[in-house]
Amino acid sequence: MTLQDIKPGQECVITEIRCDNLRKRIIDMGLTTGTYVAVKKLAPLGDPMEIIVRGYLLTLRKTEARHIEVTRKESRA
Amino acid sequence: MKPGRKRFTAADGRAAIQIALVGNPNSGKTTLFNGLTGSNQYVGNWPGVTVEKKGGKVAIGDIDAEVTDLPGIYSLSTISLEEEITVDYIAARRMNLIVNIVDASNLERNLFLTFQLLDAGIPLIVALNCMDIVEKRMDVLDVAKLEQRLGVPVVPITASKQSGLGELIRRIGAYAWDRTAERVRYSPPIEALIASFEAVAGDRLTAVRCLEDGAKAIAKTNLSEAQKARLAALYDEARMASPIDFDMVIPNDRYERILAIVGDAMKKADVTKLSATDRIDRVLTHRLFGIPLFLLIMFAVFWLAFGPLGTWVTDGFVWAVDLVFGLVSGGVSALGMAPWVTSLLNSAVFGGLAAVLGFLPQLAILFLFLSILEDTGYMARAAFIMDRALRRFGLSGKSFIPMLLGFGCSVPAMAATRTLDKAEDRKITTMIIPFVSCGAKAPIYGVIAGALFAASAYYVVFSMYLLGILVALLSAVLFKKTVLRSASANYLMELPEYRTPTLKNTFLHTWDRVKGFVVKAGTVLLGAFIVIWFLSYFGTVDGTFRLLAQEEIEHSLLGAIGKAILPLFRPIGFTDWRATVAILTGFVAKESVVGTLGILYGVAGDALVNGSLLYPAIRAAFTPLQAYAFMAFALLSAPCIAALAAMKRELGAWKWFMFILAYEMAVAYLVALAIYQLGSLGSGAIFTALFLAGAVSIVFSTIRGAIRRKGSCASCYGCSSAGACDEERRKR
Repeated sequence: MTLQDIKPGQECVITEIRCDNLRKRIIDMGLTTGTYVAVKKLAPLGDPMEIIVRGYLLTLRKTEARHIEVTRKESRA
Repeated sequence: MKPGRKRFTAADGRAAIQIALVGNPNSGKTTLFNGLTGSNQYVGNWPGVTVEKKGGKVAIGDIDAEVTDLPGIYSLSTISLEEEITVDYIAARRMNLIVNIVDASNLERNLFLTFQLLDAGIPLIVALNCMDIVEKRMDVLDVAKLEQRLGVPVVPITASKQSGLGELIRRIGAYAWDRTAERVRYSPPIEALIASFEAVAGDRLTAVRCLEDGAKAIAKTNLSEAQKARLAALYDEARMASPIDFDMVIPNDRYERILAIVGDAMKKADVTKLSATDRIDRVLTHRLFGIPLFLLIMFAVFWLAFGPLGTWVTDGFVWAVDLVFGLVSGGVSALGMAPWVTSLLNSAVFGGLAAVLGFLPQLAILFLFLSILEDTGYMARAAFIMDRALRRFGLSGKSFIPMLLGFGCSVPAMAATRTLDKAEDRKITTMIIPFVSCGAKAPIYGVIAGALFAASAYYVVFSMYLLGILVALLSAVLFKKTVLRSASANYLMELPEYRTPTLKNTFLHTWDRVKGFVVKAGTVLLGAFIVIWFLSYFGTVDGTFRLLAQEEIEHSLLGAIGKAILPLFRPIGFTDWRATVAILTGFVAKESVVGTLGILYGVAGDALVNGSLLYPAIRAAFTPLQAYAFMAFALLSAPCIAALAAMKRELGAWKWFMFILAYEMAVAYLVALAIYQLGSLGSGAIFTALFLAGAVSIVFSTIRGAIRRKGSCASCYGCSSAGACDEERRKR
């Protein structure tokens, strides 16, 4: 399962970053393995997606999200 | 080694130090900079690149500190030119002290950079910004604990309210320069790796950089080839031995340490209530209302700048400028100097300056509202909303704002491309902006369509705007596929919290941009105006070369050029040298196309103010088809001198500038040619051409689709990064 499959309102934990494009920046922005990510919403045209990671709002394209492996978690809220 | 020590022995008793402000984008660096330096700031260009750094001075006790505001970075691993400036500045150790601004409301990610900076061993003070947001969230942050855990001074401030700045200055003055900053310690295996790298690289910062970025960082060091090879070998060895992706090792460890510190120093409020940002975003990035609201906001900005308000301010301003320049030129005329000197001063210098200054009020209004949109954080949302639509043209959401500005004026639009990540993306956006029909081109369509297309004038004008957008987008695709393949059009963007912009910062922001425009008007443009003046006011009449009156423009050098190049323009429907001359004067300012037509056709009164005066002359001189080709050429050909100067500034190299100039001319010519020649053939030929074009494009896309299917891996059909597939395959 990848980050792209997570619906708005759902949460997940990153298991692997397989993305090559922007890879280092994605990692530096805090998307490391074991990090909790909550998907907040999709842009009006369906892409990019807005996520909450380490307490801030990050937006990324599905092209990248598709290469971020995650496991779904029950919402903590 | 203590980098701070040397500069401290100034001969005059006062010490001088260099302070660099480093922090994440949007962490309030510039606000702090303005707060620290007050009005003692200046703007300077970095050599070779277009991004500006700012410097200012502040007195701290008996120390004169020079503060440099560097472009914001998330990490020392860069992805944009702008970020590289900051990293190079740090690597060169040009400062005695780093003030690292850390957004306390976003502590985890901000500390990532802090940890990287601590590896440099440069004296460092953390300015903990946005304490007000932390308090509002009812989080509790133990600053003393944070200071103890980080091992460097931590000063809580709220830059937007100027609170805590006094304490920050005091702590800078009291900095214990003798003490080496406590360095971050990673886990023992990583420390062992760093030690082995440091043995070759010489210092810890270089060692960590090489460990993190591998080949890219190793190539950037100024070590010998043998040392570089040794580092590369060490890197490969470590990479093979690593059980997880090697580039994750250090960031993972760093974030773990950060989490431990944050968990220790910060107590998050139990109640997670909906923040103001969440509530605003519920509306502004709403699935259905997001786009209409976005269009509404953009429309409002344009309406304010170019609608009644802007026109009213402009009229007043132009009236004042004309009054002043009128008095001045009256005075100049009264001096009784040689006629050509009077003409030079009045027509070229003052006339030219008045023409440029006429743009100023609308630009200032536009800059003001855009600064507000930027300072509040809405611009990031606009990019988020528009990204999907622009992607198919090889652009990213961040290109949208510059393009939108292009409808007003290309000059601020090109300056706005600096927010884009990569130099290549900046280039593409800068190069397509001139095709977007700017406000100054509107009078051309207005007069010509009004004269020749009567009832359908609106559709004709609208088609011009569409043509401009179409050519701009197609050019973007073309550039991306050919000359600028390395353009990434990447998108990964933080959405900052909404903030209320402060009056001071908004005005400083606006003023900075307005000032740039005025300075340019006084330098580059003035030279250009003098050249154009010479060409249009000198010529040979009855065998003598002399200064001409305005009505004699036909005999001017410009007129001669217009006549000489007319044969070139015949294929695109120009039959009159006056049309060519009008196009030529358009390079000064697009408004003057209509003005020149007025002069050339001998229309009394100002053709710009009352276009209908020109209707009979235009009806006599152009057929509708010729007029349409003329408008298309005026729209697409090289922009005015002000825009060209801005374009040169943003593109940097002459090579690119000349390329795009030639490209624009070629496109304008080909489009006008197609319009005129196909139009002359009648409607049957047009449909034939459309059918052929459709057939060719279908065949072309089928072939391309087949090639693409063959060349890509199964898992990522249609992925944007061409190299990624091969990378993936290699891994398996």
